[in-house]
Amino acid sequence: MDLMKTIMVAASGLKAQSGRMRVIAENMANVDSVAPRAGLDPYRRRVPTFETSFDRELNAEVVKLGRIQKDNSDFGTRYEPGHPAADPRGYVRTPNVNTLVEQMDFRQAQRSYEANIGVIGTTRRMISRTLDILRG
Amino acid sequence: MSITGLNVLGLLKTKMLWHQDRQRVLAENVANADTPGFKARELRMPDFGQSAVSAPASVVMASTNPLHQAPMGGGAGRDDRRSHTFEITPEGNSVVLEEEILKVGQNAMDHQMVSQLYSRSIGLLRKAISRPA
Repeated sequence: MDLMKTIMVAASGLKAQSGRMRVIAENMANVDSVAPRAGLDPYRRRVPTFETSFDRELNAEVVKLGRIQKDNSDFGTRYEPGHPAADPRGYVRTPNVNTLVEQMDFRQAQRSYEANIGVIGTTRRMISRTLDILRG
Repeated sequence: MSITGLNVLGLLKTKMLWHQDRQRVLAENVANADTPGFKARELRMPDFGQSAVSAPASVVMASTNPLHQAPMGGGAGRDDRRSHTFEITPEGNSVVLEEEILKVGQNAMDHQMVSQLYSRSIGLLRKAISRPA
């Protein structure tokens, strides 16, 4: 049935958006993960990517989470000479995660997720209306 | 003669299939709302031809006085040609989520209308073959 395929397409959107939210949660959780000792890198922000793929079974273009890339922007620095990861000048490198950016990304993912839920709800109503023809 | 051979029921069935397909296309748009480079798509209206459906004649008021104003042209219906979207993000995605959700709702309402018309038509047939009371 074609409407079931619609639900599957929307479900692929749900899955991709929830994967994106997972990556964002990783970034948020690691906002303070500095290196354990000097010379090592702190946590590097990860960026989820989306890609469109044609699903032959559904005959539709579904979305899926692509490779999770690394954000190559510069790390921040903080002056903390007593820290085990401090360099000779007393600076500790901090992760390149901006919580404000992550929060906005998360909000956007949430909205897209809700939009897909809306599509599923509407499609379910369409299915039950079609079944109502049987009742006459 | 099968039921789907009837003119009205055949048309309604085509319309319902069209709504199903359109729902799938709209779901693709919503699912790919954040995919870079994705272009929003839309399904063309089914062409029932001139013979199948004749446009209902609109009722116009008679003007008996030269001072009477002509009625406003066109109905209050929606403009189907305005379906192309107006916003493209820097990453090349042209899906406007609000617009798509609006279309999904509209599609579901139209589908409901067609399915109710279908069951009404079946009811008419049932009434025709039922035993008179």
